[in-house]
Amino acid sequence: MKENLDLGFLDRTLRTTGIVLLIFLPFGLYYLGVFPALAVFSGGVWGILNFVFISALVRTTFRAEGPNKHRTVALMLFKFPLLYVSGYFLLKVPQFDVLPLVAGFTTLFAVMTLKALGRLVLALDDKEQPHERVPKAL
Amino acid sequence: MDYQAMLSWALPMGVGLAAVGSGLGLGRAVGSAMEAIGRQPEASGKIQTAMIIGAALIEALTIYALVVFFMMFGKIG
Repeated sequence: MKENLDLGFLDRTLRTTGIVLLIFLPFGLYYLGVFPALAVFSGGVWGILNFVFISALVRTTFRAEGPNKHRTVALMLFKFPLLYVSGYFLLKVPQFDVLPLVAGFTTLFAVMTLKALGRLVLALDDKEQPHERVPKAL
Repeated sequence: MDYQAMLSWALPMGVGLAAVGSGLGLGRAVGSAMEAIGRQPEASGKIQTAMIIGAALIEALTIYALVVFFMMFGKIG
């Protein structure tokens, strides 16, 4: 089975999004100003954290060998009250506009779409993987 | 009915509809993923990946609806 769109794809997307946000931060501080750049960065970090928790929740709960109940409860207690309350307070920070926050939050999905599009355009999923090569019969 | 009254009626309705829609969509997605994992446990990695991406996108849409709610909330007098 090909490993391209396996769970590793999500980890690679998260890493790429973090790098994109870190690269954006100095340019945003210079060109957009302190608060818009920080708003985009905070929105992006919040989006990454949200995705990490969704991913962990799905991996812990929906698996073939049954859910890990303690871990699921711990993740839910962290994600739903704490993460959403922090998101609410991010929206309520007077210096942060809503638009940069949403733009930062959307960065993750933009990266994910571009990565998937890149795979599609370069036809990386169609290429034969090294471990899948079958020696030709003589 | 004036603009303020219409907005104060439409905003909670909009967020409610978004929540109902995302709840139905997420429920359908999880149900189908569970069926697929039950049928093919060896493909659970790929199914989980698709499910996580789908769940994140559905949740993002609800969050966008909530953000629009907070943006428009200030316009209710």
